[in-house]
Amino acid sequence: MEGNMILLLPMVLPILAGIVVLAGKVFRENRKYLTGLSVAVLVLELVLTFQALVSGGSLTMIRLTDQLTLELHIDQVSRLFAALTAAVWLLVGIYSVSYMSHEEEEHRFFGYYLIVAGVLMGLNFSANLITLYVFYELMTLTSLPLVLHERSREAVRAGLKYLFYSVAGAFLALFGIFFLAGVSENLTFTAGGVLSDSALAGKEGLLLTSAFCMIVGFGTKAGMFPLHGWLPTAHPVAPASASAVLSGLITKAGVLAIIRVVYYVIGPDRLRGTWVQNVWILLTLLTVFMGSMLAYKEPVMKKRLAYSTVSQVSYVLFGLSLLNPTAFAGALSHVVFHSVIKHALFLTAGAIIVTTGWTRVEQMRGLGQVMPKTLACYTVAALALVGIPPLSGFVSKWYLASGALSSGTGVWAWVGPAVLLVSALLTAGYLLPLTIQGFFPGHDFKGEEIEKRGLKGKEPSWWMLAPIGVLAAAALLLGCFPGSLISMLQSIAASVL
Amino acid sequence: MNEIILALPVFLPVLSGVVMLFHPWGRKEWDRKRELFIEGLVVLNSLLVAAAIGGGTDGGRRLVLFRLYSTLTIMFKLDSMGSVFAGLVAFLWPLATLYAFEYMKHEERKNTFFAFYTMTYGITMGIALAGNLVTLYLFYEMLTLVTLPLVLFPLTTEAVRAGRSYLYYSIGGAAFAFIGLVFVLGFSSVGTTEFMAGGMLDLERAMENRNTLLFVYVLAFFGFGVKAALFPCYRWLPKAAVAPTPVTALLHAVAVVKSGAFAILRLTFFSFGTQFLRGTWAQWVVMAAAMATIAFGSTMAVREVHWKRRLAYSTVSNLSYILFGATLMTPFGLAAALSHLVAHAFMKICAFFCAGAVMHQSGKTYIYELDGLGKKMPVTFGCLLVSSLSLMGVPLFAGFISKWNLASAAFDSGSGLGIGGVAVILYSALMTGIYMMTVIVRAYFPSLAEKVAAGSGGRDGQNAGSPETAGTDGQDRKNGEAAVTDPGWKMTVPLVIFAAAILLIGLCPAHLMRLLTMIGGEAG
Amino acid sequence: MNFVQNFPFFSIILAMFSGIVSSVLDGRKARNLSLAMIAVTTALSAGTLLFCLGSGESYTFMMGHFPAPWGNEIRAGILEGVTAIFFGIIMFLAVLGGLDHTAEDVEEKKLNLFYIMIDLMLSSLLALVYTNDLFTAYVFVEINTIAGCGLIMIRQKGRSMSAAIRYMIMSQLGSGLFLIGLSILYDVTGHLLMSPARESVELLVAAGSYRIPMLVIMAVIGVGLAIKSGLYPFHYWIPDTYGYATPTASAVLSGLVSKGYIFLLIKIFYRVLGYDNLVSSQMVNVLYVFGITGMVMGSIHAIHETDTRRMTAYSSVAQIGYIYMGMGLGTSYGMVAAVFHIFTHSATKALLFISAVGLYEVSGDKKDYISLRGAGYRNPLAGIGFTVGALSMVGFPMLSGFISKLLFATSALESPHKMLPTIIVLAVSTTLNAVYFLRLVITLYSRRRPEDAPIPETRARSSWQLRLAILCFIGVNLVLGLASQPIVQAIRDGLAMFG
Repeated sequence: MEGNMILLLPMVLPILAGIVVLAGKVFRENRKYLTGLSVAVLVLELVLTFQALVSGGSLTMIRLTDQLTLELHIDQVSRLFAALTAAVWLLVGIYSVSYMSHEEEEHRFFGYYLIVAGVLMGLNFSANLITLYVFYELMTLTSLPLVLHERSREAVRAGLKYLFYSVAGAFLALFGIFFLAGVSENLTFTAGGVLSDSALAGKEGLLLTSAFCMIVGFGTKAGMFPLHGWLPTAHPVAPASASAVLSGLITKAGVLAIIRVVYYVIGPDRLRGTWVQNVWILLTLLTVFMGSMLAYKEPVMKKRLAYSTVSQVSYVLFGLSLLNPTAFAGALSHVVFHSVIKHALFLTAGAIIVTTGWTRVEQMRGLGQVMPKTLACYTVAALALVGIPPLSGFVSKWYLASGALSSGTGVWAWVGPAVLLVSALLTAGYLLPLTIQGFFPGHDFKGEEIEKRGLKGKEPSWWMLAPIGVLAAAALLLGCFPGSLISMLQSIAASVL
Repeated sequence: MNEIILALPVFLPVLSGVVMLFHPWGRKEWDRKRELFIEGLVVLNSLLVAAAIGGGTDGGRRLVLFRLYSTLTIMFKLDSMGSVFAGLVAFLWPLATLYAFEYMKHEERKNTFFAFYTMTYGITMGIALAGNLVTLYLFYEMLTLVTLPLVLFPLTTEAVRAGRSYLYYSIGGAAFAFIGLVFVLGFSSVGTTEFMAGGMLDLERAMENRNTLLFVYVLAFFGFGVKAALFPCYRWLPKAAVAPTPVTALLHAVAVVKSGAFAILRLTFFSFGTQFLRGTWAQWVVMAAAMATIAFGSTMAVREVHWKRRLAYSTVSNLSYILFGATLMTPFGLAAALSHLVAHAFMKICAFFCAGAVMHQSGKTYIYELDGLGKKMPVTFGCLLVSSLSLMGVPLFAGFISKWNLASAAFDSGSGLGIGGVAVILYSALMTGIYMMTVIVRAYFPSLAEKVAAGSGGRDGQNAGSPETAGTDGQDRKNGEAAVTDPGWKMTVPLVIFAAAILLIGLCPAHLMRLLTMIGGEAG
Repeated sequence: MNFVQNFPFFSIILAMFSGIVSSVLDGRKARNLSLAMIAVTTALSAGTLLFCLGSGESYTFMMGHFPAPWGNEIRAGILEGVTAIFFGIIMFLAVLGGLDHTAEDVEEKKLNLFYIMIDLMLSSLLALVYTNDLFTAYVFVEINTIAGCGLIMIRQKGRSMSAAIRYMIMSQLGSGLFLIGLSILYDVTGHLLMSPARESVELLVAAGSYRIPMLVIMAVIGVGLAIKSGLYPFHYWIPDTYGYATPTASAVLSGLVSKGYIFLLIKIFYRVLGYDNLVSSQMVNVLYVFGITGMVMGSIHAIHETDTRRMTAYSSVAQIGYIYMGMGLGTSYGMVAAVFHIFTHSATKALLFISAVGLYEVSGDKKDYISLRGAGYRNPLAGIGFTVGALSMVGFPMLSGFISKLLFATSALESPHKMLPTIIVLAVSTTLNAVYFLRLVITLYSRRRPEDAPIPETRARSSWQLRLAILCFIGVNLVLGLASQPIVQAIRDGLAMFG
């Protein structure tokens, strides 16, 4: 243990709190203690995270062997991801206080929810590939109970699917890690890559294979084709707040890992123009298109949102795969925006389920009569995701598209933007019908069910509505004032490219 | 003759076992005294081993017992690799014995069981301390014989069948290993088979008969590989899961199968020598066999629904990790193989003991019967969780360290097949995730819909359709299940210690790895 | 002329004479006489061996001091001494172990006949070991055959009659071939004494004449004795013969009789035909092929057998295959291994037959697997005896079988072309041995099932003689396994003296 101990706090605090919640009998019996402690920890977590981000530095946690060292550090990328995680985690935590009162065994949910926060923070702070891998695996395992929470037969099956896909992806990535560990002294993240040409001599083919394995492997978490199959199964079966963080943040863990591997270990220059880059671009575009198509055809709202995640996270990966500074900045901005937006959407879906019990989109006609405020927030978020200016999604897509055009990747330079455009149309096609039918159900809509169940004007509680509102507002404001964020991202891009 | 301490840990348990067989201790009222005696004896023996290891492992310590023939000496020798295995066994045995007391509480013929169980300790020590190939072979054969009664112990038709196939496979394997012994003797540069780091072949003569010797090496590899459950000679191992759990755990996850792997290490690094074998077709053949076994074992484990047999298949696969490390034939490969030898011992014995604890407490042997037991037996399943994660190769657990070493060694060796081996190991790790985590998920997160179905009597889910019977059965079962708790301290203490050891190795492997790397450096 | 040098002659005559005397004694006395005679002849052989070891060379001895070609000659050396002692010990223990069974199986009146046969058997065996004269050898081969038939037939139960007839026919076929070989040899060389015959054979070979007749001689003598010793594929008489005789007879027949012929064959190879000539004429390769085929096929037959005694008999086929394989290797090491295996197999097979008796006793005299279930608990000593024997056959270290296997394998290393097949067949055969022997061992120690027929109470416990014999056999096995060095050295020296 040497270095800045403050880095440890945002990681250890929630994990310990989570264990206490899981073990303590009092939290099982008394809801107030449970939610009180959870929210308090999350607030404290936010504070500690910002303190850590400000103080910066690095920390060596433990040396397993000479080669295997667990280290933390803070750089711009970790700042971005950590701040996002801490903030969103708190909002969803507040939402859960109300939402989870409808579920059984809350203490288990909150316990693991807190633990995952700590693990994610460790992932964000990781200073080398080994540490990253450690937290990546732990994240899979600790987030598994969130998927399993409902314990229906479907949930268990989905949980196992989630586990097996994630583990498969992790092991695929591990192959690359094994290789990289053999050709470099240590795998500390360094902007632009740590590998030396001399160590790689004669092993170029293996390097590319390893890189590809790692991209596909870590891409599993990000729902990238071909290992995306778990995502539409696992996300919807979890409670809405869990779906939200799974979709909004845990998928981003895969993105973070890929950023670290490509830009901080291997180095983008080694991949530019190789088959790896081409296949990677192809895969991301396939995923973008396919995800949107499937979402468009999906009637169940949470599943639709899950498919949307598949598609949207691959926007990010597409941006990364271009190995171009503008696209890179766009990708990172999309990380933030998609995370905010997708949380808003999933939380809305949860609110609808809790209030009305509706899960399919066609049931939701006239929703505007039930929860107009919620639906308004939803609409803002949906428009942002579609990419309507001046909402946030537009900014990121703009950068992605312009980056693609200037990337010099041949045919991809114009195929990419075209696919993004088609996908944006599809996004509008699958997200906006809810708004339209909700606010304008049409003349033939009598709202009998709404009348009968006394649902009219029944907004969700403020515990739920407030986080949705904040997120929707963020989606709007970030789009209007993206300047400082974008300049920070561009500085990151400049450092790695 | 102050090296007599090398012989004591071998002969003390064997002789005590023989005495127990003929001592009228079969009666019930003797149980307690017998347990005290055995535990005392086993602990004493482990202390002897510790003392022997503590006295130095520079390889110069040898004890010649007698000469079977002018060139065949029965001798013990303590070198660092032997002491790793000896130390491992000495650490596990007292704990496993403790567990066995509890597990066998209600069995008949305990005296016979423990007599052979104790004897096996001595024989395994004999393998660890064997100073030459002949001694190793002798104890290897004896190991088959003393463990046979343990497999036969239930004396059911199934057990007899399992015992038979165990015996055929082992003796057959030994017969092929014998060929290796003869050739090593014939081509030895010193005229005996005494182990020497780096091999003892007279290279000049050996090169003249290169292909014959390589062929013989492959035969002997497969011969010893039988005990290490190498494909296609693995069949006896899952069958032997009928034996009482302490036997399956300690013997078929550690002592017996590791003896096979250990013998292969001795054969490869200390007899034939890597200098002679590296880069030959023989190396590719045995490496491919190990890889095939890794993939095959873990795939079969996924398909198996009987818990102990699933673990047995997992053993099949994991043993070949060790063999894979050995077949890399580099110093680092040996170190990696040894690290998996140690790590797997802890993980697998822990997993088997958990399975045994569940069987003992609830009588459940199939995976699909385990729903919801995680809450009722928290200690047991906590340990199982640790062991499963470690087997999967999750970082911070022992299994990751050994997997890491194996993969690095494979990349380090630079051979194409070795890199393919990494892929196979990762595939197997995924399968491990599947077959271990399904158990964990079932135990901790029983699906609610299945609670009723489980009530209809586990094995035959067909009559789950009739709600009436399902309801009442479910009630009965619930009452029955409510009684299921963690077992007594004799079982939980070993479990917790093993789980702690897994974590310890996972978190602080530096010392162990330094030792193993040193051994690898000497022998490779 | 040292007095000790008369001992071989004395022992042959003594054995024969006690047979003659026994014809007028009753069974009990005949038995005692027989046992005493075996003990005395063994002691005499020991004296001979000590003498040879002391003088360091062999000697020939003319019976009645008539010189050739009228007189008979015998020859004693280290190997003859060792073999004779060994045969004596095995014979003694086999007779001792089977005492009460012999008394039961054989009619009271005929009991002395049984011991006459035993006496004649020993006499002929000793003669086969010591003879230096081909015609004497032939005479004693016939005596041996007759005695063997008598031993089989005297039980007069079950298939023993047909077994005896089969044995008789096969043996006569073998003797006949042997006789033809002798005739041609005599025709070609003009000698029946071994040493001069050897000289003329060498001359003939050197001159290159009579090549075909020489080949025929080798083939006919080889096949003749191979039939008599039960080499695969001439083994058909073995299972019945060993399977239905009295325990003593089985042990003696399987342990000694076939070994006597093999010993004679080795002696003829070395002392008459010249081993090098056999090697150069490819004759050894024929033996080798038969040997390794026998090793595998005998075991396969044994696996298919459900009657445990017949199974043990088939195992002899495999073991005799080992011996011929060793002879067929064409090296002196191989021959040492073969001779050592003669000892191993005698000791082990006799142990197996005798301990099996102890197990049958407690299983209602049934010999199938099911009846033997749990017999190891009912008669612990016999169970241990059988286990030790089985392990020795499988080649467990510290027992005699291991040393045999080791000797075979190391000698195989000396002959490059036969190295791999030998070693692989050894391994395969070991595995097969394990399959049938250890299956039986497991059966002996498994629990009886409820559906098994109850065991008729036949005998409370085995007689002390049986138990003593089992213990002694175990001891012999251990001695061969643990202290093999001097024995192997003696064999090596003895073979050197042959050459």
